[in-house]
Amino acid sequence: MLALYHWEPNANSGKPMLALAEKGVEFESRYLDLLNFDQHKPEYLKINPNGTIPAMVHDGLMLTESTAIMEYADAAFQGPPLRPRDPVERWRMRWWMKFFDQYFGPSLSMIGWSIFVGPSVRSRDPEQLKAAIERIPLKERRVAWSKAIYGSFSPEELAESRRRVVFGVGAIEAALTRHPWIAGNSYSLADMNGFNMVYAVPLSVPEVCNDQATPHILEWLRKIYERPATKKIWAMGHTQMAARVGYLARSK
Amino acid sequence: MLELFHWEPNCGSLKVLVALHEKGLDFTSRWVDFISLDQYGLAPFADPEAAMTIEGEAPVLVHDGAVISDSFNTILYLDEAFAAPALQPATAEGQWRIQVWARQFAEVLAPAVCTLGCQRYLTAALAQRDRAALGARAAKIAVQERRAAWEAALTGSYPQAQLEDSRRKVGLVLAKVEAALAQSDWLLTTGYSLADIDLFGLANPLPSLVPDVVGAAALPRFNAWLERVRARPAVRVALARSRSGHPEQAFAPGPEHSRWG
Repeated sequence: MLALYHWEPNANSGKPMLALAEKGVEFESRYLDLLNFDQHKPEYLKINPNGTIPAMVHDGLMLTESTAIMEYADAAFQGPPLRPRDPVERWRMRWWMKFFDQYFGPSLSMIGWSIFVGPSVRSRDPEQLKAAIERIPLKERRVAWSKAIYGSFSPEELAESRRRVVFGVGAIEAALTRHPWIAGNSYSLADMNGFNMVYAVPLSVPEVCNDQATPHILEWLRKIYERPATKKIWAMGHTQMAARVGYLARSK
Repeated sequence: MLELFHWEPNCGSLKVLVALHEKGLDFTSRWVDFISLDQYGLAPFADPEAAMTIEGEAPVLVHDGAVISDSFNTILYLDEAFAAPALQPATAEGQWRIQVWARQFAEVLAPAVCTLGCQRYLTAALAQRDRAALGARAAKIAVQERRAAWEAALTGSYPQAQLEDSRRKVGLVLAKVEAALAQSDWLLTTGYSLADIDLFGLANPLPSLVPDVVGAAALPRFNAWLERVRARPAVRVALARSRSGHPEQAFAPGPEHSRWG
């Protein structure tokens, strides 16, 4: 039995969804509405006591951490290999996944949460919001949600996040100039990981990421968007968020 | 040919040295004094990924011309590029467990240990050196986060709140380690693995750095584990590469603390 608990195909949730689809593995989709705090409700905490998504349950084993789940999916199931065979390319795949997960992603999401997540949940009943935050099991996640909901990122923090996103865009463009995919010559988990956050960059900071300034990034995004697995997963979105990816369609 | 550019056997340098010796690999050791900032003048450290590392000051491996950086990903590379003895279980589940530990060590434990170590030892070590000359070298570091980390080290600015948060983080991760060691002598029930090596690089300095946080009364299994790892021949050889005799006091700026709080 394989079940994946996830939100929209975006950021962390989209990573294992895309890896499973590329692998050709069918999974039971259990959609949780992140903005409705479904992931902190008692029924989900019975499955994942940390209240984080995504989580995957495979034959009774509960797996967390989106990037580690992607590696698990590639190692555990039959299907096309999603990690390069060459150890150097495989190392590069992991180097970049760490860069996306621990450097680029947190900065990009700080911007995204401040302009999207915060305002969209702030309109709710303040008492309900307070109770929802108190239910979050991990202290780090409680702090992060509070900051997002109450918009307490300082202008300096947001400016620093923007600087890091711009730096990251330059680094990704340079990497894609050296080789066609993030890790080297083959499409790998690092591309799937990166796509889940970088697809939003030409929309959120179009002045630094566009066809003229970063042609390799845009071509890379379009190639990934055109893959059947990507189409299948983005069609699983419940909100307008997933539809945004349509800007990557090439004009005929 | 394998060449490792490393400093004293502590943190990332210790991890990679232990892995090389556990694998029984022949390699050339290039000892680099990280707190003289000599690494910024060496070609392998200027490789695109090595220069942008988010690990802070860390070793770089050169294998037949390929530059491999980030200490956890380097030990994983060594295990996959060279077959025996395997330092990961063959199962997808075992490999996933190693990666989940690695994420916590890199993101929570490493920033905490490095902050505490730098405040305690690096500040004093820098006082013995020509700080103006080092400041001039640090000012030329291209990557902003790494430059800022050295500027903070040279002024010895470690806010009290960050030191307290670091002690909390060490306790948080080691409580999970203590719980895991109730099941087995090693972090994975399948035996000694990369997860133990990954943790050991950060754990070896802790008894002298934060004795009150990691005492044997509070963390008996962790302390017994530390002795088991230290007794391994590969670990002894790695630690014997120290030039100062006190590798557990060798600290240079490490990864940043999470900016999300």
